[in-house]
Amino acid sequence: MAATTLPVPRPARRGRGRPGFATPLAYAFLIGLGGFCVVPFTWIFLASVDPNATVHLQVPKSIDLSNFGRFVTDPKFARFMLNSVIMAGGSTIVVTATSVLGGYALSRFAFPGRRTLMFGILLTRIIPTTATIAPLFVITQRLGLTDTYQGMILVLAAQQLPLALWMMKGFFDTVPGELEEAAWIDGAGRLGSAIRIVMPLAAPGVGAAALFAFIEAWSDFLTPLILISTPDRFPVSIGLFQAYIGRNLVDWGLLTAVSVVYMLPTIVFYLVVRRYLLRATVVGALAGA
Amino acid sequence: MIARPLAGRGQALLVLAFLAPALLLLALFVVAPAVSAVLFSFTDLALRGPGALAPKIVGLGNYTRLFGDQSFVDAFGRSVSFVFFSAIIGQFVLGLVAALLLARKGIVGKGLFGAAILMPLVVPETVAALAWASMYAPDARGTLNLLVGLVGQEPVAWLVANPMLAIIIVNIWRGVAFAMILFAAALEGVPREVVEAAMVDGASAWQQLTRITLPLIKHAIVLYMLLTTIGTFTVFGLIYFLTRGGPGGGTTVMSVFIYERAFHFAEIGLGSAASVIMLGIVLAIGLFYVRALRAQI
Repeated sequence: MAATTLPVPRPARRGRGRPGFATPLAYAFLIGLGGFCVVPFTWIFLASVDPNATVHLQVPKSIDLSNFGRFVTDPKFARFMLNSVIMAGGSTIVVTATSVLGGYALSRFAFPGRRTLMFGILLTRIIPTTATIAPLFVITQRLGLTDTYQGMILVLAAQQLPLALWMMKGFFDTVPGELEEAAWIDGAGRLGSAIRIVMPLAAPGVGAAALFAFIEAWSDFLTPLILISTPDRFPVSIGLFQAYIGRNLVDWGLLTAVSVVYMLPTIVFYLVVRRYLLRATVVGALAGA
Repeated sequence: MIARPLAGRGQALLVLAFLAPALLLLALFVVAPAVSAVLFSFTDLALRGPGALAPKIVGLGNYTRLFGDQSFVDAFGRSVSFVFFSAIIGQFVLGLVAALLLARKGIVGKGLFGAAILMPLVVPETVAALAWASMYAPDARGTLNLLVGLVGQEPVAWLVANPMLAIIIVNIWRGVAFAMILFAAALEGVPREVVEAAMVDGASAWQQLTRITLPLIKHAIVLYMLLTTIGTFTVFGLIYFLTRGGPGGGTTVMSVFIYERAFHFAEIGLGSAASVIMLGIVLAIGLFYVRALRAQI
């Protein structure tokens, strides 16, 4: 700060800002790491447009969309895609509805035990599905929910709820209470002002939280692995797995085409919600509770 | 302060009604399974056979079986080395260096590098695993074998010859971005003047890093270590897709062990006992994290 008012020599020529040997090294590292991160995907993209795709990374001799065409007409994978849309879409709706209500209550009412509840919810986020799969299966079985869309939707929704509740509460906290109170004075009811004043202002946040829930449910592999047994109800993740372990006749062109379509929404959505990424990865930690 | 105290019984009911659906879902599908894991772990509950019809209480039997079972001890050991080498060492070092470099002035293409590093974390884990099936293709035309062939190395069947190293590399690849995101945010909070003052005083780049920058982001480092340990300890799909715990159980980490016991051997009781050990470790770390947060707020 002092540098703006005093004519001190600019220190930028030394250390961090010094050109020379450090900068080529920096680029070498970044290019190396970036390449390491991207190279495995090049096979997926190239093979998906290669009618003669193999497990090997190769330059296609000819390029066409026949793999994607077979995906659309393949009765199995077209069905898996539909199942993924139903499961991820359904759970996103459930998560959004329940976390908007819950997040609003957590944000607006100082009821006894609220802090404890917030931390309890945070703790439930830490409970990994990996460690509860056996009892989760038994409980859903007793409820008659194994191998059903409803069961998948509810379980996936519950898994996404802790993060969604924290995010929603945070977004509602950013909408000033005075706006809402002014609406009450103008005669709007508590519910009316919540819907007309708070929701539009919190909408971008609500959308972001919904997208995170969708991506997680869309990508999930373990939950359908234990809950779904009928191939007609497999989501794409299980379809890919089953096709891959049928090793002797793997259709690499089809699998990579499916993969491209399957990962596209996750990439697009991440671009949309990128600025909320930190809040989602370390819920409440650095961004403040 | 936005939150207002409750005004009357009507509002209390409203709050309850608003919270009920979310809390019910959490209770049924997150809390109840965790609590049931503890209860089941004291029984011989199974998915088939006598334990399915009339489960009996076996006390600590499942736990003594686990600790006397070399395959469980091995699975635990593999989880520890998986967490240590992929998250504590690999992702940490690469993610921190990436964050430091991308925070520097005058680096061109930051957005591109950031996006490239983010991509492995963003895609579904099944797609990530499938991508590595091609990388690790065992013959001379496998991508990694082509690369090591450049330095005269013979082709290696990666997932067979050194399966733990193979899945550790995949997990480093997937998780670098997580470390990078956390450290990039923390570095934004490091005041430029402090670092510049150190430069003026003639501190070397290494001294600036170890004496100024790292101490200033030490909270983020602790936070990363806690979160990454929990997250990496419970990785399942990435490993299971590629190896199904094999070859010969060589990549059966804790998560795969739990899945195999509960669903392939149908021993819910034993699988639950292994789950409880994992839950205990994760929650202990988690409580530490929550307490650290609480102190901050």
